[in-house]
Amino acid sequence: MSITTAGPEPAPSVAISPIPRLFSLDVLRGIALLGILVISIWEFGGFSTNQQTRLKLLQKGLDYDLYATITILFEGKMRAIFSMVFGAGIILYLSKPHQPLTYTHEHYIRRQMWLIAFGLINVFVLLWPGDILFQYGVMGIFLFPFARLNKKALLIAMLITTLIYCGKIYWFYADDKKAFRKFTAVTLVEEKFKKDSSERHRKDSIAGMPKDTIRVRDSIAKKNDTLTIFQKRDKQSWEGILKGSKYDSTKAGEKAENKAMRSGYGEVWNHVLQRSQNKESRWLYQIGIWDIGSMMLLGMALLGFGFFDHRFTKGIYLLLAITGIIAGIMLGWLRIEYSHIKIVDYLKYMKGHVIPPNQFFPVERLLLATGYASLVMLLLRLNIMRWLGQALSATGQMAFTNYFIQTIFCTLFFYGYGFGYFGRLSLTRLYFFVAEVWMIQMVFSVIWLRYYKYGPVEWLWRRLINGKFFSNKKQEASLQ
Amino acid sequence: METYTAQYNPAPVAQTDRIKTVDIIRGVALLGILLMNIPGFGFNWDGWYNILHGPHDTKDYNAMAIISIFFEGTMRGLFSMLFGVGMILFTQNKVELPGGPSVAEFYYRRLLWLVLFGLFNAFILLWFGDILYTYGLCGMVLYVFRKTNPKWLLVLGIACMAVVMFKKQLNWNETREQRRNYVEAVKAQKEKKELTGEQNAALTQWPGRENQKPDSAFMNRNLRTMQQGSYQNIFTYWIPKNVRFETFDVYDNWFWDGLAMMFVGMALFGLGFFSNRLSTSTYTMSLLIGYGLGIPISWIYFKQGSVVPAASLAHYVDSFRVNHELLYDIRRVLLSVGHASLILLIYRSKIVPWLMKALSNVGQMAFSNYLMQSIICTWFFFGYGFEFYGKLHFYQLYYVVFSVWVFQLIFSSVWLKYFRFGPFEWLWRSLTYWKKQPMKR
Repeated sequence: MSITTAGPEPAPSVAISPIPRLFSLDVLRGIALLGILVISIWEFGGFSTNQQTRLKLLQKGLDYDLYATITILFEGKMRAIFSMVFGAGIILYLSKPHQPLTYTHEHYIRRQMWLIAFGLINVFVLLWPGDILFQYGVMGIFLFPFARLNKKALLIAMLITTLIYCGKIYWFYADDKKAFRKFTAVTLVEEKFKKDSSERHRKDSIAGMPKDTIRVRDSIAKKNDTLTIFQKRDKQSWEGILKGSKYDSTKAGEKAENKAMRSGYGEVWNHVLQRSQNKESRWLYQIGIWDIGSMMLLGMALLGFGFFDHRFTKGIYLLLAITGIIAGIMLGWLRIEYSHIKIVDYLKYMKGHVIPPNQFFPVERLLLATGYASLVMLLLRLNIMRWLGQALSATGQMAFTNYFIQTIFCTLFFYGYGFGYFGRLSLTRLYFFVAEVWMIQMVFSVIWLRYYKYGPVEWLWRRLINGKFFSNKKQEASLQ
Repeated sequence: METYTAQYNPAPVAQTDRIKTVDIIRGVALLGILLMNIPGFGFNWDGWYNILHGPHDTKDYNAMAIISIFFEGTMRGLFSMLFGVGMILFTQNKVELPGGPSVAEFYYRRLLWLVLFGLFNAFILLWFGDILYTYGLCGMVLYVFRKTNPKWLLVLGIACMAVVMFKKQLNWNETREQRRNYVEAVKAQKEKKELTGEQNAALTQWPGRENQKPDSAFMNRNLRTMQQGSYQNIFTYWIPKNVRFETFDVYDNWFWDGLAMMFVGMALFGLGFFSNRLSTSTYTMSLLIGYGLGIPISWIYFKQGSVVPAASLAHYVDSFRVNHELLYDIRRVLLSVGHASLILLIYRSKIVPWLMKALSNVGQMAFSNYLMQSIICTWFFFGYGFEFYGKLHFYQLYYVVFSVWVFQLIFSSVWLKYFRFGPFEWLWRSLTYWKKQPMKR
């Protein structure tokens, strides 16, 4: 390669080289893509947090078993695998052979920026506030300078980000504790007001003051004994936290939510706007960077170690799968148990526990995601259920398209401008719906990829990145 | 993997390659930014309200009017424009060696460090008005547009402004609706009709909005914390505010604010504006247009958009379908162009070469000077320093500004006599290239 000046040449001598594909990554991506719906269906379908709180409080019944199982096995884990695969994809994309580095890098940045744009469409046009494309676009740019690190450094970076993630979770818990301390201080002030006033009342009576004077003095004292605006805020702040941690049997929040989500496009747009913006700003800043970043870094490192190329022995994959899954489930189970205690009485929980129930969620998710990935690698190696592997790989190859299809299906099924099933299906029924979507997506992906090289959105994406038209048909490619 | 370290010295922009006028304008913008930032450093917030409400023949009011009309947003605007220019220069001047990192890699490393410097400025130096964080994020978008032609860059800049305007108008519509509901509810109340729940809510909502008088409890606490608080106090006091700024405020507004001007700046640079390539008559023309349109619009913006609503928000809401805030970007683009043209014309006329030299020094180490403003001003005003917070009149703040200016002009000139970069520039570069950069001349 000769010395190139900055910036890509307008017409490169090399053809647009395809990204090297790894079958295992496609399968994992397919699994993660389908798996993501298991959790996002809650938000799509109106299985509210209040209902989740109710189940966690109840701790019995079929719904609870289903909910608990899914929480432990899926919550956060599918996104984790998705991020992991995305991270590995970053390295693969950047190591495209036969192409000047500058050119690749230029395309990489464009790719991420288009991803951000697609994310914005998914959020603000298709109205899916739980979108992650935006976050992936941003994180891909943040991690770009890290792609050159060696695999060990990447692994260390992953550990550091996971630790920071745990730290963040502790920080939020510490904030709650602080809110309670402030609240206690305010209640002491209130008690003092009460005590002082009754004391004075008693003394006045003993001194033999006329009743009218005493009454006037009482009312003056009452007027003076008001909390400052900050004390009031401190009080409200803790009361709000406490209320938020409890089950609301009036279901007022859910009713309002259902009503809004079952109305027309404009109202739904307005209703989800704040949540969408919050996810793209505050959530990304506080949690997303660590949540997504750590798993992307893991994927980048694992690719370097040859994890996705079957460079480990079967024994190692088996070991990783067993330890990861078992340890992950243990942590997940503990999380559920402790969050039950928290919901019963948050105050009591806080007094008795140094850490919040979800303190080790980042680790739980890391373990389970790694365990799952290892299990999949092992199954691929054993070469069983090939047809399923093929279907999942097809789904994963056009994950971007499928992600959009999930949004379109679910919004049209649940939101008011579609069939309006929001909040109307039980948990079990929601999962029948999920299974239907899975089947449709797998069949569709397999059929589509029989005729075309890329999924429609993937094709559009590549076309936008390269800035020129290319044919997506398979036959033409073989003719060339 | 890192084979480039030995033979490859990724040279920073060589002295001879620096475009002098770009440095000069950046210097002016850097100093000018303090004009708008100084109240943030040292003025208690209710001061704004008191000045706008109080008699309009005070020194404070005049100072505020002048600063708002001529400078508000323009210096940050120029600074953003030149940040865009800096991106082009950075990517143009780099030579890649085989096996070594590409320009893009250096560029994004540099920006990630900038984001971290921004966090440092906000959370450690405690300057809540930090822009480095925002610039770091905006810069990440710019890279792919470094070769876009000026016409399209202008379109992009305008599109970003349109986004901001759209958001502002949406907010304004909401305000107007609050007001409308309130008026209807009052009418219904007078007619002794039974009010709906929404109408009852409207009755309390609007008066809360209309009363703009800052709550004295909040103001006193702010004053007490900033004036007397220890570093620890002020540090914790600012955390939630900084977080809010860096999450929602940046996402909602500042990102677009910066990006719009960066695109415009890149476009103007492409046309040769900042590099002193246009004719004197063109600069005179841009000066006349910039100031000729910009100052009147800016005057309307201040009078109608700040003073009138401060007197009576209800009256203002009833009179205007469109908020004057929508003029913000238009006026500041015009004024920024006017300011830049003026500087370029002065540079050409060679009246004050020593000043231009000094300004170019300030501009060359703009990054250090920006952080230094945070250090000096927080120390001067905050409780852990000299405790001047809230003690000066509005117009007196500008004595501080002049002192800082003089100091920075002299300091930069002396520093650059002995060193190649400003201290923070040196640190930034060393971090970007992950190699200690030569410092001494």
